[in-house]
Amino acid sequence: MEIPAIQTRGLTRTFGALTAVQDVTLTVASGQFFGFLGPNGAGKSTTIKMLTALLEPTAGSIEILGKPFSASALDLKRQIGVVPEGMALMGRLTAPEYLRFVGRMYGLERETVNRRTEELLEFMQLADERRKLITDFSHGMQKKLALAAAVIHGPRVLFLDEPFEGVDAIAAGMLKTMLQGMINRGATIFLTSHVLEIVERLCSHVAIIHQGRLVANGSIEDLRSGVASTLPGTESEQRLTLEEIFLSVVGAGGQEAPQELSWLT
Amino acid sequence: MADLIHSGEAISSSPLGSLARRQYLAIMWVRFRMLTNSVRSVQGAFEFSAKGVAFLIYSMMGMGLGIGLGGGAYQLVKSEHFQYLPALFWTVFLVWQVLPVALASFQEQFDLSSVLRFPVSFGSFYLMSIAFGLVDVPAILGGICCVGIWTGVTLARPALWSWTAGILAVYAVFNILLGRAVLAWVDKWLAKRRTREIVSALFLLLMLSLQLLNPALHEQRQYRRGGGRHGAQSSGQGVMGELPSWMKPVLALEPWLPPGLAADGVLRVAESETRLMFESLAALGVYIVAAAAVLGIRLRAEYAGERLSEAPAARKRTEEDSKWLLDGSGPIAAVVEKELRIIPRSMPLLFAMGAPLLTVLVISSVLKNTNDTGHAFSWAFPLCVCYALLGFTQMIFNNLGSEGTGIQTLFLSPTPIRTVLLAKNLLHGALFCIVAFLAGVFATVRLGWPDVTLAATTAAWVIFAVPTNLAVGNLLSITMPYRVNLGRLSRQRGSQASALVSMLIQLLVVGCGVVVMELCAFFGKKWMAIPSLLVLAGIAGVVWFQVLAHADSLANRNRENLIATLAKTE
Repeated sequence: MEIPAIQTRGLTRTFGALTAVQDVTLTVASGQFFGFLGPNGAGKSTTIKMLTALLEPTAGSIEILGKPFSASALDLKRQIGVVPEGMALMGRLTAPEYLRFVGRMYGLERETVNRRTEELLEFMQLADERRKLITDFSHGMQKKLALAAAVIHGPRVLFLDEPFEGVDAIAAGMLKTMLQGMINRGATIFLTSHVLEIVERLCSHVAIIHQGRLVANGSIEDLRSGVASTLPGTESEQRLTLEEIFLSVVGAGGQEAPQELSWLT
Repeated sequence: MADLIHSGEAISSSPLGSLARRQYLAIMWVRFRMLTNSVRSVQGAFEFSAKGVAFLIYSMMGMGLGIGLGGGAYQLVKSEHFQYLPALFWTVFLVWQVLPVALASFQEQFDLSSVLRFPVSFGSFYLMSIAFGLVDVPAILGGICCVGIWTGVTLARPALWSWTAGILAVYAVFNILLGRAVLAWVDKWLAKRRTREIVSALFLLLMLSLQLLNPALHEQRQYRRGGGRHGAQSSGQGVMGELPSWMKPVLALEPWLPPGLAADGVLRVAESETRLMFESLAALGVYIVAAAAVLGIRLRAEYAGERLSEAPAARKRTEEDSKWLLDGSGPIAAVVEKELRIIPRSMPLLFAMGAPLLTVLVISSVLKNTNDTGHAFSWAFPLCVCYALLGFTQMIFNNLGSEGTGIQTLFLSPTPIRTVLLAKNLLHGALFCIVAFLAGVFATVRLGWPDVTLAATTAAWVIFAVPTNLAVGNLLSITMPYRVNLGRLSRQRGSQASALVSMLIQLLVVGCGVVVMELCAFFGKKWMAIPSLLVLAGIAGVVWFQVLAHADSLANRNRENLIATLAKTE
């Protein structure tokens, strides 16, 4: 049996009285492009932080590539790449300086770091901005740089928290091509995004988290057929979009639809 | 929505209008809530207590200064030596203008740029910029100094109390406005590479000028002691007669500068020349308007959305322009190289390292002219070297503070935090040794060669001080971090708790050195201080290694706090 890239059992995280993530059990197979969805505040970023050892779980276990993962599991850190929520950039460095720094922190050889830095800058169309400090980059440029830094060491598992947020259509297309290429070469990508069209196009499997609990998990096709069977009047040949699946699973969170704002023109 | 629009039209955009007043109240409320909310966590409560302690300490320092200035004012007014009164006002001026820059790294200042997304008029923004953060260290010290002068003048001549209070109030307003304007413009200049280079050059020039200033004054003093080259200056021909010729135009200009004008105002009141007093006040008013205008230009730009950031030259280069500074691909080299690239781009760090050197120059020059062979002179060399350590306080005791969101990169990478800290420690230790060496050279140039035993003892103290500071610095950096904006001197978040603890450690380290040296001197074996300090250095080294060994577990325990604190958006 193939070792899953990511496996969690009963993953839970509380902040005082608030339970941000509760009992999340998840398996992501190697080579999967996995979408992790949920409304705002559902626990997506908290889960990613735990999966990347930026946050200690209150309970439960995490295995990456078949090995237990914690902040001290340095060998495993070499196998993963992360674009965290805040992008983790260093504003007072230039893009090449930052990439070289990250490459060296992952223990890459000098020649390798230099070569990959140049390739990534060219690929991300940041080569013309090599003299600019990161703090002066636009949000989209920072996103591209954060992604470049996350892949410079050739990770086997890549965690991306909203990688397409603020990225223009051309760059988004380029990133998608790159990510698809990584999948084709056997990498695993764990992605959160609010852009469901992109998730639907890229991901083969998704999980949906809502109010800290996993409410759906499986291939998009499985979810589609599962949701379709519960919706009255849905014809079998009618393909539900991921957005419809998402809304069906999460809905309005069991809450009443808000009243109209009478004063809003 | 209609009623909102209607009410918006009815509200004036005046800085004192109802909308502005509501906004002031809202910001005050937010600040109050932020303060009360901060006490919810243990660290926040500790920080709050530290602020209270710092406030007390600064108030006591201010009291000391205020009592001194009050005593001076009393003596000068009582003996009617009004011509020396400007010296007191210049002291207040220096306290108010130099301290903000020197303490910028340790103070929390409120950045008002976040309120610009609201319908805030420029007038309101201007008023807020002046009002918020008014109770800072320079204001406390400057205010107490002014009260001290007022008390001294009033005790000496009770009839002068009301006019003196008015003059000092106007003078305080000038200092507040000028202080704000200076910081705002310094931040602006430091934000651009070209202007930063110019400011750095001016800073260097200032250091060199001070080098030249002292010999010039010293030569003049020798000249006076010797009765002058032609025996003309035998006794008191007044201050102007005793000073070198190049100082005369400076002194002639002095009465027209704000401290001189304020002092002149007091003099005119004492001489019942109310019209002339008003003239002085009016001239001071012109300075106030000028300072307000200079500040206004900066605030107008900020109001218009200017964001200060370091923008390199616009021209693009196609060639490879960023070479490796250090060979090797290991993480230690990577961290050291990163720090080496960041430090020259950060004026606060450069200033922190350079300012103590400037002070060393001043201290050594003062000692040279006041204490040729006394006890104080024997302490001058170690004192200068010790003082160099002050500039590294923030760098060593908050060594992760400049990482910002990049702290996540450090946690995500497979490099242990202890390796990162080790690299930073090695660099900071090396930089301190360089600065301490330069301080020693400056002291030697100004004061002559120190005693060999004393020099060796000082070196032993450095070997003890560096690992001690690094060990405690690592602990504080992990447990009490605060974000540092490397792009500007002012508007830093700061941490009074960290500042207090670090100052305490500095005092303890210096105190240990003094106690050991004095004890050995008392028993007539000064050389014993060297092995004694080396033993302490050995202990400090072991503690440093232990701290590094446990750095990862400590960092992992504080990981969430570190990330939350340092990755905060500016």
